[in-house]
This record gives sequence, C-alpha cells and structure tokens, in this order.
Amino acid sequence: MTAVGALRFAGVSKTFPGVRALHDVSFAVASGSVHALCGENGAGKSTLGKILAGIYAPDAGQVEVFGETVRFESPREALAKGIGMVHQELSFCENLSVAENLCLGGLPARGVFIDRGATRVRAKEMLEAIDAPIEVEARVGALPLGQRQMVQIAAAVGAGARVIVFDEPTSSLSQREAERLYLLIDRLRAKGVTSIYVSHRMDEIFRLCDAVTVLRDGRHVATQALAASSEAGLIQMMIGRAIETVDVAPHPASKAEEVLRVSGLSSPGKFSDVSFALRPGDVLGLAGLVGAGRSEIAQALFGLDPAAVGEVYVAGQRVDIRAPRQAMALGLGLVPEDRKRQGLVLDMSAQSNTTLPVLERLSRATFIRKGEERALTASFFDRLRVRTPGFGAKAAGLSGGNQQKLVLAKWLAARAKILILDEPTRGVDVGAKAEIHALIDQLARDGNAILLISSELPELLRLSSRILVVRGGRLAGEVARESATQDGLLRLMAGLAA
Amino acid sequence: MLRKLLASQQTGLALIILALGAVLTFFAGTHDDRVTGVAVNNFLNSHTLIQTATDASFFAVMAVGATIVIISGGIDLSVGSIYALAGVTMAMVLRSSGRGGSAGSVLVGLVVCVGVGFLCGLLNGLLVVFLRVHPFIITLGTMWILRGIAFVSSKAESILVPEALTTAAKASLGLGASLYPVPMLTMLAVAAIGAVYLTQTVMGRHVFAFGGNPEASRFSGLRLDRIQISVYVISGLCAGLAAFMGASFYGSASCADATGYELYVIASAVVGGASLSGGKGSAISAMLGAVLIVLIRQSIRTLRFDQNYEWIIVGCAIIIAVVLDQGSAQLNARRLARAAGKQS
Repeated sequence: MTAVGALRFAGVSKTFPGVRALHDVSFAVASGSVHALCGENGAGKSTLGKILAGIYAPDAGQVEVFGETVRFESPREALAKGIGMVHQELSFCENLSVAENLCLGGLPARGVFIDRGATRVRAKEMLEAIDAPIEVEARVGALPLGQRQMVQIAAAVGAGARVIVFDEPTSSLSQREAERLYLLIDRLRAKGVTSIYVSHRMDEIFRLCDAVTVLRDGRHVATQALAASSEAGLIQMMIGRAIETVDVAPHPASKAEEVLRVSGLSSPGKFSDVSFALRPGDVLGLAGLVGAGRSEIAQALFGLDPAAVGEVYVAGQRVDIRAPRQAMALGLGLVPEDRKRQGLVLDMSAQSNTTLPVLERLSRATFIRKGEERALTASFFDRLRVRTPGFGAKAAGLSGGNQQKLVLAKWLAARAKILILDEPTRGVDVGAKAEIHALIDQLARDGNAILLISSELPELLRLSSRILVVRGGRLAGEVARESATQDGLLRLMAGLAA
Repeated sequence: MLRKLLASQQTGLALIILALGAVLTFFAGTHDDRVTGVAVNNFLNSHTLIQTATDASFFAVMAVGATIVIISGGIDLSVGSIYALAGVTMAMVLRSSGRGGSAGSVLVGLVVCVGVGFLCGLLNGLLVVFLRVHPFIITLGTMWILRGIAFVSSKAESILVPEALTTAAKASLGLGASLYPVPMLTMLAVAAIGAVYLTQTVMGRHVFAFGGNPEASRFSGLRLDRIQISVYVISGLCAGLAAFMGASFYGSASCADATGYELYVIASAVVGGASLSGGKGSAISAMLGAVLIVLIRQSIRTLRFDQNYEWIIVGCAIIIAVVLDQGSAQLNARRLARAAGKQS
C-alpha cells in the first residue's frame, strides 16, 4: 500500500482474568481509511479497540500511531495522541447538558465559576464540525441513543482525534440513526480521519469500510481490502469453518386455536390500540424502529406496565396480567431486550440464573433441592448447547451468546408456551445466532407460540410466519411472510408510501 | 475440595482470628490461679475466651440480620434502637405482670422481645416498600423514632428484669462456675440458621437475586415487595433476640442500651465481606466479622495498650480488613487469569 500508515500493531497480547483476549496480533491500518475489525463475540475485537483508545494497556507488543510507538495509560493520553473512542456503552454524565459534557475535560471558567456562554459556544462549534445539529442545552440523559453517539463523536473530533474507534456503534441504534452515522463516518473519511470500526454486522462493514481485519479467539486471521472480500469468506474466517446457512423452511401460518389474543391494548404515552392474535406454531414478527413501542408492548403483556389497559385473552380466557408472576403462571415468558440489565443477575451463577423463576417448583418446604436444580440446569444447558466453565460460573463471565441462551433456558425451564423474544440475538456472535435461530424454529414446530421482536429485518424475514409493523406506538400494518420484503417493511416502519 | 475451603472467605477470616488469638496468647503473659496456684495464660483461658465470645454475641446476632439486609442491597440503621425498645418493653411488661413462674417469665420475655423486633422490622420494611424512599433514610428515621419511644415509655429509667431471665442467660450448662456459654451458643445457632437460610432456601436465593439485580429479578417474576419486607423483618427479629439476651444477661434494660450498635453491626457485616452494593455476603462471615472486631478491642486490653485509642484502632482495623478482602479478591482473579493463560 502506498498510503501513509496511521496505525501499526505488532505482536499485541492481552490477558484478562480467565481469558486470553489477544494473542500476538499484528497488522497495519492505512491513514484516512475506514478499517473494520470483525470477529465473533470474544474474538478480541473490542479489546483491541480499547487498547488503542488507552482503556487497557497491552501485556506485550507494540502499538504505533503515525509512526510513533505509543503506550497509553489512560484514554486521556490516547486522545492527546489523536485517538478517540465511541463506546458500546456510552459514558456520559447523564444529568449534565450536552454542552457541559462536551467541555467536561476543560470547562471554560471565570475564576471558580463556569463560563456558561463560552461552554455553549464551544460545544456548538464542536457539533457543527461534524454537522450534527443537536441542542447543546439538552440534558444528555434525555437524548435518544443515536444523538448521544453523535455527541461522543463530536467530543472526540473536537479534541483533535485523527483516529476514532467505533465499538459496535449501531448495536442499539434504529435503522435511520444508523444511516445517519454511516453518512457521518463517510464525511469524517473525506476529512482524512481514520476510523476503526468494530462490528460483526456484515451489511454495514460492506457498506462502510475500505479494509477489514478478522480476529478469531484473540488471534489475527487476516487483513485485506474489502473489495477483495466476500461475506461468506469473512464469516468463514470469523468462525473458522464454513457454516451451513440455517435456512429455515417456510413456516406456514398456524390454523390451531388461538393461545393469545390482544385487543385494543394501550399504554398512555407508549403505544395505543394494539391488537393481534397468536396460535401455537406461530412466529409473529414485530418490526419497528427503535422507540416505536415494540419492547413496551412486550413488557405490558408480561405485566410490567401498570398503566396498560386493554383486553388480553390467554387460551380464550380473559385475563388481567398485573405482575410477571401472573404472566408466568399463564405460560408466558419474556426474554427482555437488555439481557445484562433485565435478563440476568450477572453476579450469580449460570445455574442460579436459569432456575431463578422456578425455584419454588424445585424446593420442598422452602429448601432448594440441589440435585433437582442441577439436573434441570443440565438438561437445558445440554439442549441449548450452553457452554460454561461449570454451572457455578458467574453469568458475568460468559459470552453474549451463552448469556442469551441462559435467559432462554430460564423461560423454557419455566415451561413457557407463549414466548416473547425481544431482540434475542442482539450482540450475539454468528455461531450462537444460528443456534438461536434454529431453536426458535424448533420451538415453534413443537407447538409454542412466539412473538419475535427484532431490529434485524433478515432475522424477522427468515423466522416469522407473519410480521406486524409498529410505528409511533400504533400498528402500521401486517405483512405475510410470502409478500414481505426488507424494503417494504422499512417503508412501513418509517411511514413512507409504498 | 480442600483448596475450595482454603480459598473461601470464611476460612480467611477464621485464620486471621486464630492468628490474632495466637499473638494475644503469646504476648498476654500469665497470672497464678487464686485457688490452685497454677500459672494461667491471661488470654488463653476459658473465662476470657467465653467472655470475648459473649461480648461479640450481642451484635453478632444482629450482624447476621444486617448482612441479609445488606445482601438485598439495603441497610438497617435502626437495629440498635430496636434492641433498646425491645429490651425496655420486655422489662416493663415483666415488671407490670408481677411474679410469674420463672419459666413463664423467660418465655414471656422472649416472646415480647422477638415480637417487638418483628413489628419494628415490619414497620421498616413496609415504609421502605410503600414510601419508595431509600432504606438509609427510612431506617435513619426509625432509628430515632424507636429510641425515642423507648425513652418516653421507660421515662429514661433503667428497669430491672426478673432474676429468672438472668439465671437462664447465665446458665453454665455444666461448664463450671462463672462460665456463661449461652450467648455464645445463641450466636453460633443464629449464624448457622442464617447460613442455611441464605444458601439452602428459595427465599435466601431470592434475596441474593434481588440485591444483585432488582430489575432482572422483577423480570423473573419474583415478588420484590415481599423479599424486601422480609429482610427487614429478619433484621428486626435478630435485634429482638439480641435484646432478650442482652437484657437478661446484664439484668436490666434501658433506653440507652446498644447506642451506636448499628455501626458495629454494619461494620461486622462489611468486615465479613458483605458488599454495600448488594448481592454479596455470608452469615457465618458476618459473625466472624463481629468476633474479629471484639477480639481487636480485647487485644487492646490484653496487651495493655492505652484504652483511649480503642476507637482509632477499631476504625483502622475495619478499613484494613475491607481493603485486604478486596485485595485477595483481585489476587484470586489474577490467579484465574494465569491459569487461563497457561491453558491456551
């Protein structure tokens, strides 16, 4: 390559408690390019990004930035050398304004007092530099995720970053927000900023990036121009084998008796007048932009929204679900969208998490029968192919895919027949994703009814028998699998004419 | 199995306690027994040991309750006041009921103390759940309210309790004169019950889950209100039981009893490895934490340090104990990392 190298990694290694995250990784990144770092969860791509941004220090090896060997002890030092990072979990003081957050490192002051005017002006300049029109007086906590990310990018660019590390930036963005981010990254490239783009989503890597580095199990597999890569080839490098693309056979809409009917379900300020029915064997997709009310509908069904009103029938009986406990007793299970916050107690063991909703069933006179608990866990771990160092291993230490399987196991153990799956494959690696897809299909074939919420349209199109589209808290339409296309769904979701 | 036992937090605490005991034995010196004339170690003798355990027992019992509250992510500052109110109420009930049979008054005393503890804990729990105010604030409030009730109702008098209670609390159980093992045995029993509750029962597991992640617990269909109320009830019960033992042992109850105990109790739980952010802790460790704190106080006496430094030394010891605990957790993590490094 003739371009000036922006970055060079030479023999970088990093070990964490219990895992060797990176092992002898070497490659270079051309200046002004958008360089993808891809690999399965746990492959080490985020770790590498964090080493570059000064969050971790490598145990061995060298990092060169524009020809200079560097060793960062903090993100501040990295930023001083021109490296900024946009985090997976955005780190802000949510109680402060956009302007205050943007200037937090060096708040303009007059004596001991904050100079509010200067703070505003500087923040505006920083946002204008990346063409992101965001109100600088707004509290960061009140902004949608996509805008918070823009603020973070503005902070990095404003501090003089010539290299920006994006760590799975679209994992919780809506389609439209993601598009805006892509355009911004294109503009940054035009300005000569180098981007490191950590992701395992093939569509966006091909849309955005010039070159790609694939990591597997902490080792460098390949670095190549994207023009010379194919999707299948990259996936094969990521997982180390060719995958049989699990093509789920078309799944006919079920004719059996309804197990769940929802009629006119509303919750003030969240969604209104939602109606649908679910039969055994159904996989009903629920599509919509982030914030359209999909998760809110799911949580209302599960008794988590005290303000929800409307008619819900389970197996023909009118029910009034006011607590998750009631929902469970009626055979409902909810795999929530945020597994770390809502799905798991991370400090508890894999086994304790799995049996949490069903402990009463496993106990006699309040004493837990440990043998039965273990046997139940074993059977579901076996069925879902959950891989843990042991049943006693903390959930926090497991990969995203295994964590997600734990949450699924929890509701299968609770004998849920009506499963509400909210983003069941978010942040899950390619292999585990295929396994979860196969499981969802199998569960439907076994006669369970499934409500599947997903931001990934290919996932919905692959698994669902019908797809409902939610827009602005209302049902915008229902599409049968046969007539559904990605483009058509997107138009419905965004409210554009077909 | 042996390695697992060695790595456990209880074992670490127990080893520290044994080591401190050995140091005290070595430096304590001896005195001649008045009756037999045989030289006796000033620390390692049954009288001093049981006395130390007795000193620990009153707040060790409360520390077991406190550790359960702390595991649930809460805090209970009112235990010292519950202790005082339970003791005073019992003494007044027994005084006004006149001469009951000796077994009768012990039973009535126990029921009153534990009952008052139960009601106070229930009050704390209900306030925390229904007012949705942080337990620190709620129990800070009830700490003053309950002690105030004890003050007003007892008219600030110290009230004697019937002989029968003291006889029961000071029963020698065949160990010989002037040895009083009952408080120590109660402490061991409460710690054992607490350990079984936390590790073997559905409710105990729910307390850990709630403290570890209340949101995920809600999504898992747990009855959060019930869990929260029950931990404060348990804490109140423990305080009531401690009050019964304390008032019986010392023969009187007053509204100033157990002033400042709440902090010793919380310190015991924390020295025992409970995390104030919830989800972590153990009943046995809380008891050992209480024993360690008392032993440190005891060592000031045994080694003839200036007693005026007691608070400074105890304060330093608490901070050191928690820092050591964190350090050993990190060491453990690093050892795991090395093991994983070797594997790959």
